[in-house]
Amino acid sequence: MKKSHIIAIIIIAVAIGAILTTVGDSSTYASFAMATENPGKEYHVVGKLEKDSALIYNPQENVNLFTFYIKDNEGIIKKVLYHGTKPQDFERSEQIVLVGKMKDEGFQANTILMKCPSKYNDGKPEMQEYKAQS
Amino acid sequence: MDINYVGEHLWAGNTGNFFIVLSFCGALLSSLSYFIFSTNEVQNASWKSLGRSGYFIHASGVLGIIGTLFYMLLNHMFEFHYVWQHSNTEMPMRYILSCFWEGQEGSFLLWTFWHVVLGIILIFTSGKWEGPVMTIVALVQIFLASMLLGIYVFGYKIGSNPFLLLRQIPDFANLPFIQNANYLSKLDGRGLNPLLQNYWMTIHPPTLFLGFASTLVPFAYAIAGLWKKDFNGWMKPALPWTFFGVMILGTGILMGGAWAYEALSFGGFWAWDPVENASLVPWLTFVGAAHVMVIHRNKGQSLLVTFILTIITFILILYSTFLTRSGILGDTSVHAFTDLGMSGQLLVYLLTFLVIAVVLIVINWKHFPKPETEESVWSREFWMFVGAMVLAVSAFQIIFTTSIPVINKIFSSNIAPPTNPIQHYNSFQVWVAVIVALLIGVGQYFKFKKTEMNIFLKTIAVSFFGAIVITGLLTAILDLLSIQQIPYIILLFSSVFAIVANTSYFISVLKGKVKLSGASVAHIGFGMILLGALISMSKSEVISRNTSGVDLQKLGEDFPNAENIMLVKNDTLSMGGWFVTYNGKKKEGVNIFYEIDYFSKDENGKYVKDFTLNPRVQINPRMGNVAEPSTKHYIGKDIYTHVTYAELDEEKEKKPDEFKKARTVTLAPGDTVFGSNSIIIFEGLDKNVDKTKYNLGEKDIAVAAQMRVVDVKNNSFTARPVYSIQSVYAVPFADEIAELGLKFIITKLIPESGKVEIEVYEKNSNLKEFIILKAIVFPGINILWAGCLIMIIGTVLAIRHRLKQSN
Repeated sequence: MKKSHIIAIIIIAVAIGAILTTVGDSSTYASFAMATENPGKEYHVVGKLEKDSALIYNPQENVNLFTFYIKDNEGIIKKVLYHGTKPQDFERSEQIVLVGKMKDEGFQANTILMKCPSKYNDGKPEMQEYKAQS
Repeated sequence: MDINYVGEHLWAGNTGNFFIVLSFCGALLSSLSYFIFSTNEVQNASWKSLGRSGYFIHASGVLGIIGTLFYMLLNHMFEFHYVWQHSNTEMPMRYILSCFWEGQEGSFLLWTFWHVVLGIILIFTSGKWEGPVMTIVALVQIFLASMLLGIYVFGYKIGSNPFLLLRQIPDFANLPFIQNANYLSKLDGRGLNPLLQNYWMTIHPPTLFLGFASTLVPFAYAIAGLWKKDFNGWMKPALPWTFFGVMILGTGILMGGAWAYEALSFGGFWAWDPVENASLVPWLTFVGAAHVMVIHRNKGQSLLVTFILTIITFILILYSTFLTRSGILGDTSVHAFTDLGMSGQLLVYLLTFLVIAVVLIVINWKHFPKPETEESVWSREFWMFVGAMVLAVSAFQIIFTTSIPVINKIFSSNIAPPTNPIQHYNSFQVWVAVIVALLIGVGQYFKFKKTEMNIFLKTIAVSFFGAIVITGLLTAILDLLSIQQIPYIILLFSSVFAIVANTSYFISVLKGKVKLSGASVAHIGFGMILLGALISMSKSEVISRNTSGVDLQKLGEDFPNAENIMLVKNDTLSMGGWFVTYNGKKKEGVNIFYEIDYFSKDENGKYVKDFTLNPRVQINPRMGNVAEPSTKHYIGKDIYTHVTYAELDEEKEKKPDEFKKARTVTLAPGDTVFGSNSIIIFEGLDKNVDKTKYNLGEKDIAVAAQMRVVDVKNNSFTARPVYSIQSVYAVPFADEIAELGLKFIITKLIPESGKVEIEVYEKNSNLKEFIILKAIVFPGINILWAGCLIMIIGTVLAIRHRLKQSN
């Protein structure tokens, strides 16, 4: 066997490995219902902020806790706990992508991706990302 | 109804449109003429000069568009949508450049501009390659110029015109203010995105786009080589361009990282964001292409791979433009651009060049010269080839994960990107970095062609053991064993090895001959980039851990990483070996600066001020406020400070003696709650109440809650709010601690559990102004920046050397 063939085989093997790790690491866009069924598994949940429900950020008490309510695309409303500071312009967000998992006390979000209307582009939403951990 | 609008500069828009048509037609003429010139058996010089003239017409069109747009921006002609959208009268003029390329049309113009510059250089330097190379360059320019046309052909919109009037945009056409003939007199622009009002944003995009543009030159040469069936000759002129492109694109990417680090609140210089990945991937294949070109120049091998890597680099640039400009990344990236309805056009652009390249390779493949002998495993070329392949695989992994939204679109699947992208990419790319660093270390010690084993081992052994010693020392000094991750320690060794081996090669083999040392110097720089990235990422430490009064129970075990700390004005907190004080804020223009002093203790226990940082929040009611960090740079480490939350409302005049809204807490005996200036302990209920004091009758029931309150100076106070039941009515009696501005009222007794529900009131004067900040120490980040500079110097040396060779 030629050396170039050996290299080619190794490259193909590693590339397949790369595809498999991506598939393995990838998450799913899910609803709260699905996240509730599989507590402890991380999901991406897309939803809207329930603007009428409480939006609690009380830094005097806990700097790193921000809670709010999200209605997912299936219409289920859940409490969300985000362990970080309240992001700028949170109330203005149109759509929110949460990354995290369901726990007893609510959905624990590690990352919030906010789509704010007409912020930087006229009429078109712009994403902003907030992470609880760096 | 015709309205005679007042004050519009219609002539400016017409001028702009004239230049757009000029640039498009010029490119068309140029590409066609060069094509005819190149295909004719008997070369006719008049076609060539027509091609040149076409390109110069195109160039003057592009310069005209740019000049017109700048003129409009400088003169605040808000009747034009682009000007209105990206600038306003308040904005400092030094950001006019950022306004220019904030929009898609502007950034396409920037890209086109660099192609114009490179094209003109090629006209005068490419000699016999001018015809085919310029055919390709001008063909690319036809596509780019069409991006600005903004015309409809059979219902498809081609391009987006930057010279449209505001009132021509459908969203605005029917707005009432447009009906006012004098609307312009009241109009101001929307202004520039505050994130872009930054020094880095004036230098990062032009550099990055020059990098993008420079991938066109090797691509055009490669296509020309295939077309003219000169499979080897094109590499000689293409090689210096490839090195140049690698250097500029790399610099542009790192400037983007510097922008993210200095001005954005990412908390680092690299976040594996899709937009960052989209420009890193073509850089990786470009570096691969540069190395296989060198192999081919020396040995005449790996021709197919050279073509593939050179071509794929340019295709990947187009693909990343598609990714970032089509809005397809919308759900996954922080700074994806939105769609201007040009994604179809971008795809046509990409596919055209992909098809041209694939067809040319397929029809020529059987004519490629095939080397008779296999490459020896002990030659430099063999390992350079392996290195290039590793880079290609690395690029593949990154682009595959980044393309998840594209995969979703094609297969209508519903895959979300990895929940922890940094870990996902790092766990794969660490091994790529290890292999690449080891190859960089040993590579130069292999001779081109064949290497004598014993000599090789002897020379490399010195560097190997040297690197082990240095790695050991670094581990001890920096306490790196605490990383506790074997891949990172292996990467530490291999990047140190790369640096040491190349330094020793430079000294002992090249004897310090600077002219020949391009590769060694660039590789030392690359090793330093890896080392700096490794140290600063793995040893970065969030020092703003919340150590003050927090309800730790609420944090939960899953979130030990409470990374923000509250800093009350004039209080001092201990943070990562410093004592930190927030002195207050000051407003300058649109910015609010927060003054934060860092102190340390000297031998006598006295506080000494080390430095002051001024992180800021830029107030922008229309587009949202933006916080910008402030960083103290030391040689060994950086201290990064970022205000993550601050109450920005202009302080409503609060009366200090009034109580603010209460907080209701349910307490069992022994429970504590934190006040803003104290710890409150509920010690238990006491039925011993002096009823006469509260004018209670004998039959009324009364209980007091025994509250002990300890302030920051450890003084103890007590309060006894009373809860009484007079016949059927519950009547609470409040109690206050005047010294601490606290008041307690019992609202409910829960007899079953012995708990009470208490309202805790605090006076407004208790609640001082505060900010919440996050502070991170990044050690060794200067190794990374120094590495960047050294890599640039090395590449410049290599380009000089190659240029001398080709002359």
